[in-house]
Amino acid sequence: MLDAFRPNKNLSAKAWTILLVTEVALLGVAWSLGDKLSIPGPLDTVLALGRLITQEGLLFELWVSFKVNIQAIALSSVLSIGLSYLTVLPVMRPFVEFCSKARFFSMAGFVTMFTLAFGGGHALKVALLTFGMTVFFITSMSAVVAEITKSEWDQARSLRMTPWRAVWEVVVLGKADAAFEVLRQNAAIGWMMLTLVEGLVRSEGGVGGILLNQSKYRHWDAVFAIQLTVLLVGIFQDRFIVYLKRVFCPYAFLTLERK
Amino acid sequence: MTAAAFSYELKEILTQVTDVSLKFDGKVILKSTSIEVRDIVRPGMTQGQVIGILGPSGIGKTQFSRILAGLQEPTTGTVLINHGGKMLPVQPGVVGMVAQNYPLFPHRTVLGNLLVALEHSKLSPKDKKDAAIEQLKEFDLLDKADKFPSQLSGGQRQRVSILRELLCSEHYLVMDEPFTGLDPIMKDAVCALIDKVSKMDERNTIFVVAHDIAALAMISDHLWLFGRDRDEHGCIIPGATIKAKYDLIERGLAWQPDVASTKAFAEFIPEVRAEFRQL
Repeated sequence: MLDAFRPNKNLSAKAWTILLVTEVALLGVAWSLGDKLSIPGPLDTVLALGRLITQEGLLFELWVSFKVNIQAIALSSVLSIGLSYLTVLPVMRPFVEFCSKARFFSMAGFVTMFTLAFGGGHALKVALLTFGMTVFFITSMSAVVAEITKSEWDQARSLRMTPWRAVWEVVVLGKADAAFEVLRQNAAIGWMMLTLVEGLVRSEGGVGGILLNQSKYRHWDAVFAIQLTVLLVGIFQDRFIVYLKRVFCPYAFLTLERK
Repeated sequence: MTAAAFSYELKEILTQVTDVSLKFDGKVILKSTSIEVRDIVRPGMTQGQVIGILGPSGIGKTQFSRILAGLQEPTTGTVLINHGGKMLPVQPGVVGMVAQNYPLFPHRTVLGNLLVALEHSKLSPKDKKDAAIEQLKEFDLLDKADKFPSQLSGGQRQRVSILRELLCSEHYLVMDEPFTGLDPIMKDAVCALIDKVSKMDERNTIFVVAHDIAALAMISDHLWLFGRDRDEHGCIIPGATIKAKYDLIERGLAWQPDVASTKAFAEFIPEVRAEFRQL
């Protein structure tokens, strides 16, 4: 177990289990002492969660947010991956670079413009979230394409592939595992942005709206319960994307090296 | 011609490099390089050609190998490759390129990687698969057919990479630094592999770019030494070219499995090393 405190050491499965159980137990103890740390304890959080589900319709609001998030993930994936792949064309690089730099814009500044373009409610939320995710997604994904080495392109050319066939083989198929990884990171960003978007556009509701309301009235137990619920949904979503990566890119999980 | 008990003939030109130079942003990398490779014919046996390309680090050997493989357009000059009796300008794919890190498509199995190499072939899908399987058998890789590159050792990756390039290019191969980072046993294995490939077909021509003088001398029939000129003050003049050519057949060093233990070999290596130091 001492290896757990030494850099770059490998732990046995048993040591990992002990480590995990210990850390979860420590977290549990810290949480149970919540009152002393000015955070809601487990019991308060569970009670608040029950109240949110029965009285505030948390599950329904969560479903509303989940749908918005999934739609935004799908749209931003298509836009970001498509545009990033197109950076193989020099003509597209300045535009994609600009899209990437757009992550410095404040989303609040686009609400009116997006409302005029997409109407309100669900469509507006999806549009705002898609914009917010795309600018980050495109930054990561275009970096993946930019990092393709000359030797990777050379191997495609030396196999007599046409330029577009090489793009398909080296970028689309060859970087599919990296695309899933970028998707994972940005799908998580989606949940972070959702609160902001649902705070800006409250007409459809959603978990972000409830969170902001509970926060406004300082119902910290409820805020904690919502945060934990979103965390669980996020972890589930993350594992699902890993599952998809495992199905479509099994080679990404294979190695001769012992970890 | 005979040399050291081997009789052989030099027949048609297989590769002709004429006045090749290369500049990047005005910086001269290669200058006026001309060379040719002829088909070596030995009676009663299949003998391909192995050309060792030596030179100090950063001199432009890899750029020259990319030009040979048609992956880099030279600033001036031409590279012609004998394709079915006709000398044609080199195109990507005509000369296979086995890069230093043996790149393979990570998302394809070993068999999938080989089949990609046969995409341009007019064979039926079944014949393509049969051809790939046949090569895997030949190189003792049949049990790896369904494995992904990440599941292969470095040596296996190298063999798959060579096989794939050979399937696509048919006869010509450039190997960039195939000995880098290998222990002596693995170096011997790579030498044996290159020897095997060179003897698979009369036209097989392998250009091996490396720093390891002894390993190159063991497998090559000709050695080309890249270097740069110096001015009267001893300063390097930019632009590398072939400064020395060694015919290892004439010296009785080619095609001998135990050449490393001969006196001629022991004398040859310091000679090349001395020349190398001048570059």
